[in-house]
Formats: sequence, structure tokens, C-alpha cells
Amino acid sequence: MLDTPELRLPPPVSAGLPRKRVLLVGLGGLGCPVAWVLAQSSGAELVLLDDDEVDESNLGRQVLFDDGDIGRPKIEAGRERLLALGAERVETIAGRLLPENARELVRSVELVVEGSDNYATKFLAADAAHLESRPIVHGAAVGWRATAWSVSPQGAPCYRCLFEEPPSGPAASCTSRGVMGAVVGFTGALMADLALAVLSERPRHGTLWNIDGKRQTVRPTQLSPNSRCSLCSAEPRIVEILSQHYQPRASAA
Amino acid sequence: MSVTVRIPTPLRTLTAGEDQVKVSGSNVQAVIDNLEAKHPGIKERLVDDKGIRRFVNVYLGDEDVRFLDGLETQLKDGDELSIVPAIAGG
Repeated sequence: MLDTPELRLPPPVSAGLPRKRVLLVGLGGLGCPVAWVLAQSSGAELVLLDDDEVDESNLGRQVLFDDGDIGRPKIEAGRERLLALGAERVETIAGRLLPENARELVRSVELVVEGSDNYATKFLAADAAHLESRPIVHGAAVGWRATAWSVSPQGAPCYRCLFEEPPSGPAASCTSRGVMGAVVGFTGALMADLALAVLSERPRHGTLWNIDGKRQTVRPTQLSPNSRCSLCSAEPRIVEILSQHYQPRASAA
Repeated sequence: MSVTVRIPTPLRTLTAGEDQVKVSGSNVQAVIDNLEAKHPGIKERLVDDKGIRRFVNVYLGDEDVRFLDGLETQLKDGDELSIVPAIAGG
């Protein structure tokens, strides 16, 4: 039974390949499970980007942290845990993805995984990844609902094909609306799976996964490129990172 | 003629918690108008004076209606519309 080939665990996806670097934007409810899976099974070098500290309210869903980590920077507590889990190398950067640093940070890695907590960062990560020709995995969650998908370096479709510009007005966040731990855990695992597919050079770009934790459904939607996309179309309007393209918000996950 | 509209969680407060609603209408615009008549307040969450809001996507089956005929997209009995808004959290 255990000799059945498909039941054997595969080697890390990057075995035999040069080690790849993965930038994790945000180490919250989504970033934690993604990092956990990548630490154990990708062999990738992880770069953690977050400026937040562990709060007691995080512990129900941010699986890298426990009681002893309360008050510590997430990147420090996360790094320790990821190394204990078997990560080969973990780099930490205290801060947020900003118009000033986005392109340089994205350029330094082979894959971006974005599980940030606000629209400004999601649009900025999408723009920087496209401008630097890097693949990106996006994840988002609030309440019972979440989405996950991966975007090729060429886009088509990209985040701006789908959501053209940051919504105006206040957005529901995990702080204001809450989020179900199981929903982010599931979604983070799905994001990690999409990331492993990219790292093993068998990407599955362009399918948006819609997760509804209340109804326990996961529904794929095939996305189409937007021929008038401001980022990835033949005549893009966004050709550099300008801070007016984003609406910085200070919400926390 | 009726189509099924899948309602995402943030809009279910307007549909008394229903995750799908059956509405009549021969195109997307008519369905949204009839949805508004049944569940007041939902229309402004989906469209503005320029059409479908930029951070909301409406799918007919697997196709974004923006790449079909937008609000004019014709519907037939039994079609399924899904509403996918952008999510900010993480």
C-alpha cells in the first residue's frame, strides 16, 4: 500500500534547482500558513516583510505564533518558528511595501506572495511584480470569504484586469469585520500550493479561487485578460510606481 | 424567465442572509434593477453612473460580463450570475 508511487511524498519542489527567493508581503492570517508550508516543502529562501507585532488577538489564526510571542515583531517570531520547521534560510525586513521600496524588493526575489491587509498594498504589489516581471500569488480574506490566485509575470490576466483601481471609502478589514481562522488557514494553504506550482515551473495562473467558509464551497473562476488593463495591456497607463496610484491605509490584519 | 444570482458575504445583509437569489430579467441591467426592487440598497453597491463598479466583477457562468456586453449582456432562463467584489483583508 505505502509503495504506491502516488502516496510517496515528493522531494521539495526545488530539489536540484538553484534555490529561489520568495518575498512574503504580510505575515498575518494568510502569510503565516503560506510561510509554514513553504518552509517545510519548498526549499526556497523566505523573505518576510511585515512591520507589525504579535497581538493576542492574532493567535487564533496566525499559526506561526504562540503566547510567548505576544509583543514581539512578527518577522522575528516568525523567523524562529520557520527555521525550527526546517526552512533553509529566512531573511527579515521590518517595514511595509511602499512605493519607494516596492520595485527593489520585488526585483530581489523570484516570486512574490501577497497576503497583505489593505488595498493599497495589494495594488502596489501587483504593479511592482508586473513591472519587474515577477510572478505573484495574491490572497485576500475577510469574514467568511476569501480569494486566492496566481498571476504570471506577463499578467493577462493580472490584479488590475480584475479590480481596476483601489476602491474609495473604507474597506472591510479583518480588524473591523473579523475573519474566520479556518478560512485564512485554508486559503493560505491554497496560496502555498499555487506558489509551489510556480516554484516547480508548473504554474496554474489565471484561475481565481473563491472560498466561502460559511457554505463550505470553493469555486474556481477562469479569468480573462482585460484588453484595456492599465497595467498589462498592450498600451499600459501604469509604467512606473507613483504614490498617487495607491491609497495608503493603516488598517491591520 | 429567471436567473440565479450568487450573493457574496458582504452583500448578504441586504438579502436577509440569502447566498443566492432568483431574479427575473433578460439582461444584466434588468436583473440588477429587479434585484434592487427586491433588496433595496444592493444596486448602488454594484453599479455607479459609469456602469459596473471597478472593484466589483459580475460573472455569467465563468465569463466576466465586462468582456461580454457589460450591463447589456443577454441572459437566458437558468443562467447564473456571480458577484465577486475585491477583498482587502489578509
